[in-house]
Amino acid sequence: MHRAAVCAAVALIACGGGDEDSGRTVITISSSVVGTDGPLLRRQLDRFMRMHPTIEVRLHRVSDDATQRHQLFVQWLNARAGDPDVLELDVVWTSEFAAAGWLLPLEDPSIDTAAFFPGTLRACRWAGALYALPWYADVGLLYRRTDLVPREPASLDELATFAQRGITNGGVPFGIAWMGARYEGLVTVFVEYLGGFGGQIMDDSMNVTVGAPEAVRALTFMRDQIARWKIAPNDVLTWHEEETRFAFQNGRAVFMRNWPYAYSAMADSAQSRVAGKYAVSPMPAAAGGHPTAALGGAQLAINRWTEHPDAAFALVQFITAPEQQLERAVAIGEFPTRRAVYDEPSLRAALAIPADDARRAVESATPRPVTPLYTQLSEILQIELHRALAGQVMPDAALAAAAEKMNAAIERTGLREYMRRPVTSSR
Amino acid sequence: MSGRADPRLTQDRRLAVAFVTPAVSVIALIAIFPLLWTVWNSLHLQDLRMPWLGRPFVGADNYVELARDPRFWSSLGHTLFFTVVTVSLELVLGFGIALAMNSAFRGRGAARATSLLPWAIPTVVAALLWRFMFDSQAGIANALLVAIGVLERPMVWFIEATTAWIPVILSDVWKTTPFVAILLLAGLQNIDRSLYEAAEVDGASAWWRLWHVTIPLLKPTIFVALIFRTLDAFRVFDLLYALTGGGPGTATEPIALYTHTIILQHLRFGYGAALSVVVFVITFALALIYIRGLGLRLSGEER
Repeated sequence: MHRAAVCAAVALIACGGGDEDSGRTVITISSSVVGTDGPLLRRQLDRFMRMHPTIEVRLHRVSDDATQRHQLFVQWLNARAGDPDVLELDVVWTSEFAAAGWLLPLEDPSIDTAAFFPGTLRACRWAGALYALPWYADVGLLYRRTDLVPREPASLDELATFAQRGITNGGVPFGIAWMGARYEGLVTVFVEYLGGFGGQIMDDSMNVTVGAPEAVRALTFMRDQIARWKIAPNDVLTWHEEETRFAFQNGRAVFMRNWPYAYSAMADSAQSRVAGKYAVSPMPAAAGGHPTAALGGAQLAINRWTEHPDAAFALVQFITAPEQQLERAVAIGEFPTRRAVYDEPSLRAALAIPADDARRAVESATPRPVTPLYTQLSEILQIELHRALAGQVMPDAALAAAAEKMNAAIERTGLREYMRRPVTSSR
Repeated sequence: MSGRADPRLTQDRRLAVAFVTPAVSVIALIAIFPLLWTVWNSLHLQDLRMPWLGRPFVGADNYVELARDPRFWSSLGHTLFFTVVTVSLELVLGFGIALAMNSAFRGRGAARATSLLPWAIPTVVAALLWRFMFDSQAGIANALLVAIGVLERPMVWFIEATTAWIPVILSDVWKTTPFVAILLLAGLQNIDRSLYEAAEVDGASAWWRLWHVTIPLLKPTIFVALIFRTLDAFRVFDLLYALTGGGPGTATEPIALYTHTIILQHLRFGYGAALSVVVFVITFALALIYIRGLGLRLSGEER
């Protein structure tokens, strides 16, 4: 009788901790499951499980905060944990995680890479191999008050003029609001002005070009908004997405640079003073540059330590398939990463901007530098940008310092030599 | 003197060893082993972003880089500044509060309990609270200072290094002074009342009694409070992580936050280990200095 009890206990443990529950393969997917995102993902997972009765998918809840999520993933993957099997990655992490050997390359011939926007796909590659599929795209957009601004500004100069006029004529305290706190969001804002003046952070052979005259002009334009023309308040230097949105939503700003999520978030007239009084357009450019939107969003990758790579791959393909992307866009307004989805009639009503403009914005969106050192390089840049914007140093000195430190960081790792080596030894 | 050992003594000794072994091995396992492991790590190049570099032994390379790293020195400076300023303020204020709470007055129990409230609030919550109070748009600090005429118009506290320190110092002092006060209060209550009576009979003034009775007898407690607070302040992380994030730039970045960034953001485990070792050596040295001071005084009393 003792033996029976022990057996029962063993069976219980096996059931509780094991992956094979009545023959089903159990895999997990990381998700922050906040707001409308959660129910939608659950609905899609239920559908997936009905199509694949042998697979059970569980949600592994993680923090909504990107920095904390990054930290969690680093701890898990470095400890070779196989859970979560499918990882939701921020666009700038994929090369870092792939280089660290934490992701499975996606070498399946059934992946039609041409169906995705090239920019969104570029951020999924590392050393010539594909490590993730783009899930949804975030692009930086310029929001404007339709009651204060006659039309979308055609150039950056006109943006400044309209902002000034909005303050004088409209009695609005701020001309433009953007996220200027020292964090990743500041880099995305900078990337757009940088492209608008014809510059870039890094060239194709990983030389940092952020000290170039175009970059200095871009940063000076941002600094002038605060210090010279006084169309942006000093406060922007402490603002993230939400503080920026609150300023615009409370009717305190003529323009705002933010992501697509803000469009639906400000539509409710019970909470928003600007409901029905705003429109969006791509960020304009200066002479010599081109309109640039920073590319954000999420990608799905497979944990290198997963025990069920096939099930995980099936899930990644399912979630990034056109039907699920369309459903996601319609439900929460996030931009699809597949070109064809933009032809769907139901999408046209769902997005913040006309579907053709949205497609153009994603098409021309600029990924931030794709390198495993990105987090470190971005941090250097954030610190110097913030110092210049706060008036502690001149823009040219700040950017020269940033370029020097970023180049030194790359130099120290020998990454350029590694990138130049003939690609014979596969990982 | 004699080579002949007392059999009872060796038996006692063996028993003592048997009793102590489990505790010592637990300490070795959970404290000494990780420490040595970290030291060993700090002598290697380990960058998770570039596994193809391997994990070569690099000797003191990480420490050489550290010595040349301006961000390391500035974060060390911030940590020392934070420690000296907050610990001194907390000690002086805590002493005053302890004296007040030690005197007899109505509602003393309630006063003691409520004074501990800030200490009971989780640090991250407290930090966010202070962040809101010093928010440029909606913060109460700006509203008050403008209302009483100190400021002409609302200011943005967190974009200047000097002004960003103000909420940092205030929140730590607000939060931790009660802890120091309660510690000192416990010390005050251990002082024999008859000493005060004797001093009073001898005609000593209140000031003289404070300086020559209270403070000397409170010294061991003051040292305990100092050890706790200094080591805590030196390892400050959560308060600054939530309140300023180390900004503007890196102007309020403490060493613990920099180490965290190096390891978990930059994935430079070898260099991060070197930083951790330096923090450990400094805190350990501080602890030794304090324990020395405390120990000497304690044994001086016993004699």
